[in-house]
Amino acid sequence: MSFSEEVLMAYADHELDEKTRAAVEAAMASDPELARRVAHHQRLRARLRSAFEPVIEEPVPARLLEAARNAPAASGAPRGSNVVPLPRRGAPERSLPRWAALAASLVVGALGGWLAFRLVGSGPITMRNGHMEARGLLAAALTHQLASGQSAAQPVRIGVSFRSKSGEYCRTFSMRAPAVAGLACHAAKGWRLQVLTGAEEEGAATGGYRPAASSVPAPVVTAVNAEIAGEPLDASAEAAARRRGWKP
Amino acid sequence: MGPAIEDLRDRIIDILPRLRRFARSLARDPHDADDLVQITVERALAHADQLHPDSRLASWLFGILRNAWIDEVRSRHRREPLHAPEALAEHVGDPAAGSQAELLCVQDALARLPEEQRLAVSLVLIEGLSYKEAAHVMNVPIGTLTSRLARGRDALQEMLADTSETSR
Repeated sequence: MSFSEEVLMAYADHELDEKTRAAVEAAMASDPELARRVAHHQRLRARLRSAFEPVIEEPVPARLLEAARNAPAASGAPRGSNVVPLPRRGAPERSLPRWAALAASLVVGALGGWLAFRLVGSGPITMRNGHMEARGLLAAALTHQLASGQSAAQPVRIGVSFRSKSGEYCRTFSMRAPAVAGLACHAAKGWRLQVLTGAEEEGAATGGYRPAASSVPAPVVTAVNAEIAGEPLDASAEAAARRRGWKP
Repeated sequence: MGPAIEDLRDRIIDILPRLRRFARSLARDPHDADDLVQITVERALAHADQLHPDSRLASWLFGILRNAWIDEVRSRHRREPLHAPEALAEHVGDPAAGSQAELLCVQDALARLPEEQRLAVSLVLIEGLSYKEAAHVMNVPIGTLTSRLARGRDALQEMLADTSETSR
């Protein structure tokens, strides 16, 4: 059986129906020339994809995050709010009691009611199955940002990254607004918060500069020491973990 | 701001890395590419009420970015003729910058394709969209998409043939 070049390209692009795909594969098994032509298409695809891989790994510039966060939106809610079915998030009013129930076990430090409101409603944290999970800016930073090459302008600062005793990747972070710091570990569905605490407003008291190291609150340091297996990741191990999507 | 808009903002943030990659396959200059992404995000939010319930957010954003790019190309044509891309050989075998050189080499080859072929290649081969989704983004029938893709692919194979594995 002979196949057109278009069919072979479609094979490389995973566009063939089951039956045609099986026919191409059967023919490839006995026809090295056909196999070579298919490999040709697959190689180009793989080469283009890997050439652009470094772009995916670059930190997203602050101005783009800023635009996504704050650019004016059309007044009506999008008709497509169900485009990808998402679990509905509770309104802040309903989240607050659950937040309060968790406070004793998860949240250390004094988080005022107003701060909880800002965090759980439309802020960087959501509730899923009784866990706190990072979302939005915070989730994006945990997934994409590397500790090296961070700029002071970035809204989230990543501290150390490490493997936990249960094998998950965990990262410490701090945010300026709202001023919180914490530890998040990568679970199947996203970044689960292990510890969240209020960070002192940087420079609020003195108007001065505080070295980054001193701004890691004690509860976060304690949690890291309790969870960490081995040493923190160095820059190349951190980049490698990101490439694997933080999967163990 | 309703919760739906906040949801949309979060989902756009999740797609930003892919939008940046798509933009870089069209505009070689990283700053120009990020300008395209910014325009896309602003237009998307301003027209959030036009997002169709049954279209995928990523495809919708790619479509907006594609339109912004085509506007940009047309206005550039009016201002100044596009420069011919530099010779591919310039970046080949640069020992100092492996992955950066490879990216430039592939970007140069893409830049030599006619716009519509480049879009087809970028959406299907780099972004991994299905033929159906890519045709939707480009607003053409699937047959048109696949023939542009085939021509773009052939041209790229030719341009990249002597700079592939041999240069590593």
